[in-house]
Amino acid sequence: MKKWLVFFLAVLSISYLVLLAPFCTYMNNRPVAVRLGYMPHATVLKLAFADYKQLIAQDAVVRVLFYFGSLVDTTKRTVKTTPEYFHMFETLQHAVRLDPYNMDAYYFAQAAFTWELRKIREVNDLLEYGIAYRTWDAQLPFYVGFNYAYFLKDYAAASRFLQRAAELSGNPLYTNLTARYFFEAGQTRVGLAFIEQMEKNTLDPRIKRMYQMRREALHNVDLIEQAVQHYQQQYHAPPRSIEILVKTGYIESSPVDPYGGVFYLTSSGGVQSTSKFALIQRP
Amino acid sequence: MRSCLHIAALILKTAKRDKLLHAIIVVGLLIILFVPAFSLFSMRQVQELSITLATSTLSFVLLVVTLLTGATSIWRDIERKYTNALLGLPLSRQAYLLGKYLGIAAIIGIISILIGCASLVAVKIAAAQYKSDMPILWGTLLVTILFDTLKYLLLLAFALLFSTVSTSFYFSFFSTIAIYLTGMASQEVFEYIHGDYAQKLSSVSLFVVKGLYYLLPNFSAFNLKVYAIYSLKLQLSGLLLTIGYFLVYTALVLCLAVWSFSRRELL
Repeated sequence: MKKWLVFFLAVLSISYLVLLAPFCTYMNNRPVAVRLGYMPHATVLKLAFADYKQLIAQDAVVRVLFYFGSLVDTTKRTVKTTPEYFHMFETLQHAVRLDPYNMDAYYFAQAAFTWELRKIREVNDLLEYGIAYRTWDAQLPFYVGFNYAYFLKDYAAASRFLQRAAELSGNPLYTNLTARYFFEAGQTRVGLAFIEQMEKNTLDPRIKRMYQMRREALHNVDLIEQAVQHYQQQYHAPPRSIEILVKTGYIESSPVDPYGGVFYLTSSGGVQSTSKFALIQRP
Repeated sequence: MRSCLHIAALILKTAKRDKLLHAIIVVGLLIILFVPAFSLFSMRQVQELSITLATSTLSFVLLVVTLLTGATSIWRDIERKYTNALLGLPLSRQAYLLGKYLGIAAIIGIISILIGCASLVAVKIAAAQYKSDMPILWGTLLVTILFDTLKYLLLLAFALLFSTVSTSFYFSFFSTIAIYLTGMASQEVFEYIHGDYAQKLSSVSLFVVKGLYYLLPNFSAFNLKVYAIYSLKLQLSGLLLTIGYFLVYTALVLCLAVWSFSRRELL
């Protein structure tokens, strides 16, 4: 090999190694919005990608999951940047327009946009769109039914979808369990039952972790609610604070809010948290 | 250097008569022509969609041109015995190869300018149809087009390197496509293995994936489309690093191509 070529190669290799560290740091620290990217309108994508539209839809869902994962994973229980929820949801909407059978999109919408953001009607619209295609699937009507009952308190609409879930699954568990919980237990227990089922069915560790946090929070709320109930039975008045429940021995210690907030009692004896059960955002 | 430029000029002259190249450019311009109409598919993001369509069209055209000219150029010259005639002249092999690179790079640059200008007009028309909340940052859009062009100039270096390794057209063509796909995905794979999924991978797999990440070209760095679409602020240091990365990486690949071509037997 010619000497000048060897010299050039050596110089370039060293330059490459020198450049690699700052370049990789820059690439790995790009804004999350850049990583999520932009998804064109589904109609255009359908025309452009024809046979590959399912692939594009799945890619979009995976990007949203990655983006969501980067928000939660890297900062543990806090988020550093304002999550691009609007773009996340829009990306999912486009994804299901491309591939209306993509269950990941529906599942993620249910997981991330109901509890955290209370976009119940939007999520239900998306899920009902999916129900029209996934005609065999009992999970989607179950989610819609749950959302109607738990978040919107529309029990008539809820029973319609839960009935459909029961018929599709051939298993009356959906209606029986939910009905029993609604009538015999408080809302918290309904939420706990739902989350336990969702957590059991998920494979994605990020979504699982999200549900674990939610379950932990609801479990602690349930503990306090039970203690409040017992206190009221004995003293015929709601306790003024959680500390009183600790002092009187109804709970051993004040439960910790996994979202980073502090639990407190409302004037009517209800349980609330300063975190409002959403990840506390740091500037 | 002068002989390099002669070869580059020769390639440009040949490109003027290349009907396939003309057809690709016309198709690209036709797609750009429809961008304002296609953008109306979006209810709220007409401007954003027009930028996406215009920049994606440019990317696609440049990819096709890079593959067709870059991966086939040397193979065609060898097949038609042009190399025998050319290298019989007082012209070194490295001058021939670098001239080829410069010539094809100039073609890519000219196409980029042509379609880029048409894109700017199309975006302007589309944006006028529906007022967006975000301003169009023309500078960012131009930088996006420039960096997209740099991406294909780096890919072109790879196409020439593969052309010098094997006489088969298929090898250089499909290897270039493979490099393109892996280069586009390497950043996402790297981020993927840094999450929870890394725990499921063996340390050997992690080592291999990380090694490949540092070795393979990172084309994601040249993708600034989101910045142009959402009018995001560009980071100057990042852009300079990417330009540095482009220069060093392209020079390295071209050096390897020169070395490989100088050892090749041309029958």
